[in-house]
Amino acid sequence: MDYVNLRRQAASLRKSLFDQGYLDEQFYQLEDLQDDASPNFVEEVVTLFFRDSARLMANIDQALDKCVKDFNKLDVYMQQLKGSCTSIGASRLKTECTFFRECCRDENIEGCMRSFQKIKREHSVLRQKLESYFQLLRQAGPIECATRPSK
Amino acid sequence: MTSSQVVKTLIVDDDVSTRRIYRMMLFRFGFEITEVGDGKSAVDQFLTGNEYDLVLMDKDMPIMDGVEATRTLRGMGIPAKIIAITTDANSRGAFFDAGADEFLLKPVNFTALADILKAFNFLN
Repeated sequence: MDYVNLRRQAASLRKSLFDQGYLDEQFYQLEDLQDDASPNFVEEVVTLFFRDSARLMANIDQALDKCVKDFNKLDVYMQQLKGSCTSIGASRLKTECTFFRECCRDENIEGCMRSFQKIKREHSVLRQKLESYFQLLRQAGPIECATRPSK
Repeated sequence: MTSSQVVKTLIVDDDVSTRRIYRMMLFRFGFEITEVGDGKSAVDQFLTGNEYDLVLMDKDMPIMDGVEATRTLRGMGIPAKIIAITTDANSRGAFFDAGADEFLLKPVNFTALADILKAFNFLN
Protein backbone atom coordinates (compact mmCIF):
# COMPACT_ATOMS: atom_id res chain seq x y z
CA MET A 1 0.00 0.00 0.00
CA ASP A 2 1.30 3.47 -0.87
CA TYR A 3 1.36 4.96 2.62
CA VAL A 4 3.12 8.12 1.49
CA ASN A 5 0.39 8.85 -1.00
CA LEU A 6 -2.33 8.09 1.55
CA ARG A 7 -0.69 10.45 4.03
CA ARG A 8 -0.46 13.10 1.36
CA GLN A 9 -4.16 12.69 0.56
CA ALA A 10 -5.09 12.90 4.25
CA ALA A 11 -2.99 16.04 4.73
CA SER A 12 -4.48 17.61 1.62
CA LEU A 13 -8.04 16.83 2.72
CA ARG A 14 -7.33 18.19 6.17
CA LYS A 15 -5.91 21.41 4.73
CA SER A 16 -8.91 21.84 2.46
CA LEU A 17 -11.27 21.53 5.44
CA PHE A 18 -9.59 24.56 6.99
CA ASP A 19 -9.06 26.49 3.76
CA GLN A 20 -12.72 26.12 2.79
CA GLY A 21 -13.89 27.18 6.24
CA TYR A 22 -15.45 23.90 7.30
CA LEU A 23 -13.21 23.78 10.37
CA ASP A 24 -11.66 26.45 12.56
CA GLU A 25 -8.99 26.79 15.25
CA GLN A 26 -10.97 24.71 17.75
CA PHE A 27 -10.24 21.58 15.70
CA TYR A 28 -6.52 22.21 16.27
CA GLN A 29 -7.20 22.08 20.02
CA LEU A 30 -8.80 18.68 19.64
CA GLU A 31 -5.76 17.48 17.70
CA ASP A 32 -3.47 18.89 20.40
CA LEU A 33 -5.36 16.94 23.04
CA GLN A 34 -4.91 13.64 21.20
CA ASP A 35 -1.99 11.58 22.44
CA ASP A 36 -0.63 8.06 22.44
CA ALA A 37 -2.92 7.09 25.30
CA SER A 38 -5.97 8.24 23.30
CA PRO A 39 -4.87 7.93 19.66
CA ASN A 40 -8.42 8.11 18.30
CA PHE A 41 -9.65 10.96 20.48
CA VAL A 42 -10.44 13.36 17.63
CA GLU A 43 -12.36 10.75 15.66
CA GLU A 44 -14.18 9.74 18.84
CA VAL A 45 -15.29 13.32 19.56
CA VAL A 46 -16.33 13.87 15.95
CA THR A 47 -18.33 10.64 15.99
CA LEU A 48 -20.10 11.76 19.16
CA PHE A 49 -20.81 15.11 17.55
CA PHE A 50 -22.42 13.62 14.43
CA ARG A 51 -24.47 11.18 16.46
CA ASP A 52 -25.82 13.87 18.75
CA SER A 53 -26.26 16.50 16.07
CA ALA A 54 -28.28 14.07 13.95
CA ARG A 55 -30.65 13.64 16.90
CA LEU A 56 -30.96 17.41 17.35
CA MET A 57 -31.61 17.91 13.67
CA ALA A 58 -34.36 15.27 13.74
CA ASN A 59 -35.97 17.24 16.59
CA ILE A 60 -35.73 20.43 14.55
CA ASP A 61 -37.22 18.68 11.52
CA GLN A 62 -40.19 17.55 13.63
CA ALA A 63 -40.63 21.01 15.11
CA LEU A 64 -40.58 22.60 11.63
CA ASP A 65 -43.17 20.08 10.40
CA LYS A 66 -45.71 21.19 12.95
CA CYS A 67 -48.47 23.50 11.75
CA VAL A 68 -47.94 25.90 14.62
CA LYS A 69 -44.27 26.81 14.81
CA ASP A 70 -42.75 27.14 18.24
CA PHE A 71 -39.89 29.54 17.59
CA ASN A 72 -38.69 29.35 21.19
CA LYS A 73 -38.33 25.59 20.97
CA LEU A 74 -36.63 25.86 17.57
CA ASP A 75 -34.21 28.39 19.02
CA VAL A 76 -33.40 26.14 21.98
CA TYR A 77 -32.65 23.19 19.70
CA MET A 78 -30.51 25.32 17.43
CA GLN A 79 -28.67 26.82 20.39
CA GLN A 80 -27.74 23.29 21.44
CA LEU A 81 -26.60 22.44 17.92
CA LYS A 82 -24.56 25.62 17.70
CA GLY A 83 -22.84 24.87 20.99
CA SER A 84 -21.98 21.43 19.77
CA CYS A 85 -20.59 22.81 16.49
CA THR A 86 -18.51 25.30 18.46
CA SER A 87 -16.93 22.56 20.54
CA ILE A 88 -15.54 20.67 17.55
CA GLY A 89 -14.73 23.69 15.39
CA ALA A 90 -17.43 23.13 12.76
CA SER A 91 -17.24 26.71 11.58
CA ARG A 92 -19.59 26.85 8.60
CA LEU A 93 -22.25 24.92 10.47
CA LYS A 94 -21.90 27.26 13.43
CA THR A 95 -22.38 30.30 11.20
CA GLU A 96 -25.53 28.85 9.68
CA CYS A 97 -26.88 27.98 13.13
CA THR A 98 -26.47 31.64 14.08
CA PHE A 99 -28.43 32.71 11.02
CA PHE A 100 -31.19 30.21 11.82
CA ARG A 101 -31.47 31.65 15.34
CA GLU A 102 -31.78 35.16 13.90
CA CYS A 103 -34.66 33.90 11.75
CA CYS A 104 -36.27 32.45 14.89
CA ARG A 105 -35.97 35.79 16.64
CA ASP A 106 -37.62 37.48 13.64
CA GLU A 107 -40.22 34.65 13.52
CA ASN A 108 -39.25 34.27 9.88
CA ILE A 109 -40.36 30.72 9.14
CA GLU A 110 -39.27 30.76 5.50
CA GLY A 111 -35.84 31.93 6.56
CA CYS A 112 -35.72 29.13 9.13
CA MET A 113 -36.69 26.53 6.54
CA ARG A 114 -34.10 27.73 4.01
CA SER A 115 -31.44 27.95 6.67
CA PHE A 116 -32.19 24.50 7.97
CA GLN A 117 -31.90 23.01 4.48
CA LYS A 118 -28.48 24.59 4.26
CA ILE A 119 -27.56 23.24 7.69
CA LYS A 120 -28.53 19.75 6.59
CA ARG A 121 -26.39 20.05 3.46
CA GLU A 122 -23.40 21.44 5.36
CA HIS A 123 -23.77 18.74 8.01
CA SER A 124 -23.82 16.01 5.37
CA VAL A 125 -20.82 17.41 3.49
CA LEU A 126 -18.77 17.83 6.66
CA ARG A 127 -19.64 14.33 7.77
CA GLN A 128 -18.56 12.85 4.43
CA LYS A 129 -15.32 14.80 4.37
CA LEU A 130 -14.37 13.93 7.94
CA GLU A 131 -15.28 10.26 7.45
CA SER A 132 -13.01 10.21 4.39
CA TYR A 133 -10.28 11.96 6.34
CA PHE A 134 -10.37 9.50 9.22
CA GLN A 135 -10.51 6.57 6.84
CA LEU A 136 -7.37 7.84 5.12
CA LEU A 137 -5.70 8.28 8.50
CA ARG A 138 -6.54 4.72 9.47
CA GLN A 139 -5.13 3.41 6.23
CA ALA A 140 -2.04 5.59 6.31
CA GLY A 141 -1.16 5.49 9.99
CA PRO A 142 -0.28 8.58 12.08
CA ILE A 143 0.76 11.67 10.10
CA GLU A 144 2.37 14.96 11.06
CA CYS A 145 -0.18 17.77 11.30
CA ALA A 146 -0.07 20.14 8.33
CA THR A 147 1.10 23.65 8.97
CA ARG A 148 -1.64 25.98 10.09
CA PRO A 149 -3.01 28.24 7.37
CA SER A 150 -1.90 31.84 7.72
CA LYS A 151 -4.61 34.24 8.90
CA MET B 1 -10.34 20.60 48.55
CA THR B 2 -12.15 17.37 49.41
CA SER B 3 -10.28 14.99 51.69
CA SER B 4 -8.77 13.21 48.69
CA GLN B 5 -5.68 14.77 47.08
CA VAL B 6 -7.24 14.25 43.67
CA VAL B 7 -9.32 17.13 42.34
CA LYS B 8 -12.84 15.78 42.09
CA THR B 9 -14.59 17.44 39.18
CA LEU B 10 -18.20 17.52 38.03
CA ILE B 11 -18.73 18.32 34.34
CA VAL B 12 -22.22 19.70 33.69
CA ASP B 13 -23.10 20.03 30.01
CA ASP B 14 -25.89 18.60 27.86
CA ASP B 15 -23.57 18.09 24.88
CA VAL B 16 -21.82 14.73 24.95
CA SER B 17 -18.95 15.73 22.64
CA THR B 18 -18.25 18.81 24.78
CA ARG B 19 -18.14 16.65 27.91
CA ARG B 20 -15.71 14.29 26.18
CA ILE B 21 -13.41 17.21 25.38
CA TYR B 22 -13.44 18.51 28.95
CA ARG B 23 -12.85 15.00 30.23
CA MET B 24 -9.77 14.73 28.02
CA MET B 25 -8.49 18.13 29.13
CA LEU B 26 -8.89 17.36 32.82
CA PHE B 27 -7.78 13.76 32.64
CA ARG B 28 -4.36 15.04 31.62
CA PHE B 29 -4.17 16.81 34.96
CA GLY B 30 -5.09 13.66 36.84
CA PHE B 31 -8.49 14.94 37.94
CA GLU B 32 -11.26 12.55 38.91
CA ILE B 33 -14.26 13.22 36.69
CA THR B 34 -18.01 12.75 36.83
CA GLU B 35 -20.34 13.92 34.06
CA VAL B 36 -24.00 14.92 34.09
CA GLY B 37 -26.19 16.36 31.35
CA ASP B 38 -28.27 19.03 33.10
CA GLY B 39 -28.35 21.38 36.06
CA LYS B 40 -30.79 19.33 38.12
CA SER B 41 -28.57 16.27 37.89
CA ALA B 42 -25.68 18.42 39.06
CA VAL B 43 -27.63 19.52 42.12
CA ASP B 44 -28.72 15.94 42.75
CA GLN B 45 -25.08 14.85 42.80
CA PHE B 46 -24.49 17.06 45.82
CA LEU B 47 -27.85 16.26 47.42
CA THR B 48 -26.94 12.56 47.41
CA GLY B 49 -23.77 13.28 49.36
CA ASN B 50 -21.16 13.47 46.63
CA GLU B 51 -18.43 16.04 47.09
CA TYR B 52 -16.62 17.90 44.35
CA ASP B 53 -13.82 20.45 44.34
CA LEU B 54 -14.60 21.81 40.90
CA VAL B 55 -17.67 22.18 38.70
CA LEU B 56 -17.59 23.04 35.01
CA MET B 57 -21.05 24.46 34.36
CA ASP B 58 -22.70 24.99 30.99
CA LYS B 59 -25.54 27.49 30.79
CA ASP B 60 -28.23 26.26 28.45
CA MET B 61 -29.36 22.82 29.52
CA PRO B 62 -32.72 21.09 29.83
CA ILE B 63 -34.63 20.83 33.14
CA MET B 64 -32.40 23.30 35.00
CA ASP B 65 -29.98 25.75 33.39
CA GLY B 66 -26.50 26.52 34.62
CA VAL B 67 -27.28 29.85 36.26
CA GLU B 68 -30.09 28.33 38.31
CA ALA B 69 -27.96 25.30 39.18
CA THR B 70 -25.15 27.58 40.33
CA ARG B 71 -27.52 29.62 42.47
CA THR B 72 -29.01 26.46 43.95
CA LEU B 73 -25.61 25.00 44.81
CA ARG B 74 -24.51 28.20 46.54
CA GLY B 75 -27.82 28.27 48.38
CA MET B 76 -27.00 24.77 49.63
CA GLY B 77 -23.66 26.08 50.89
CA ILE B 78 -21.61 24.14 48.36
CA PRO B 79 -18.07 25.57 48.39
CA ALA B 80 -16.81 23.93 45.17
CA LYS B 81 -15.17 26.20 42.62
CA ILE B 82 -17.64 26.75 39.78
CA ILE B 83 -16.41 27.72 36.31
CA ALA B 84 -19.22 28.79 34.00
CA ILE B 85 -18.53 27.82 30.38
CA THR B 86 -20.96 28.99 27.72
CA THR B 87 -21.31 30.57 24.27
CA ASP B 88 -23.56 33.24 25.80
CA ALA B 89 -21.30 36.18 26.62
CA ASN B 90 -24.26 38.09 28.04
CA SER B 91 -24.70 35.59 30.85
CA ARG B 92 -21.47 36.55 32.58
CA GLY B 93 -23.14 38.88 35.06
CA ALA B 94 -25.91 36.39 35.83
CA PHE B 95 -23.39 33.64 36.53
CA PHE B 96 -21.29 35.77 38.86
CA ASP B 97 -24.42 37.00 40.65
CA ALA B 98 -25.41 33.36 41.10
CA GLY B 99 -22.06 32.60 42.68
CA ALA B 100 -19.78 31.33 39.92
CA ASP B 101 -16.06 31.81 40.50
CA GLU B 102 -14.97 32.12 36.92
CA PHE B 103 -16.47 32.52 33.46
CA LEU B 104 -15.17 31.20 30.14
CA LEU B 105 -16.59 31.48 26.65
CA LYS B 106 -16.85 28.41 24.47
CA PRO B 107 -14.90 27.01 22.80
CA VAL B 108 -12.73 26.56 25.86
CA ASN B 109 -9.07 27.28 25.37
CA PHE B 110 -6.98 24.64 27.09
CA THR B 111 -4.40 27.17 28.26
CA ALA B 112 -7.03 29.56 29.64
CA LEU B 113 -8.62 26.72 31.59
CA ALA B 114 -5.23 25.63 32.92
CA ASP B 115 -4.51 29.19 34.07
CA ILE B 116 -7.74 29.28 36.04
CA LEU B 117 -7.02 25.89 37.60
CA LYS B 118 -3.59 27.12 38.64
CA ALA B 119 -5.16 30.20 40.19
CA PHE B 120 -7.45 27.86 42.13
CA ASN B 121 -4.35 25.94 43.29
CA PHE B 122 -5.61 22.78 41.60
CA LEU B 123 -2.43 22.45 39.57
CA ASN B 124 1.17 22.47 40.75
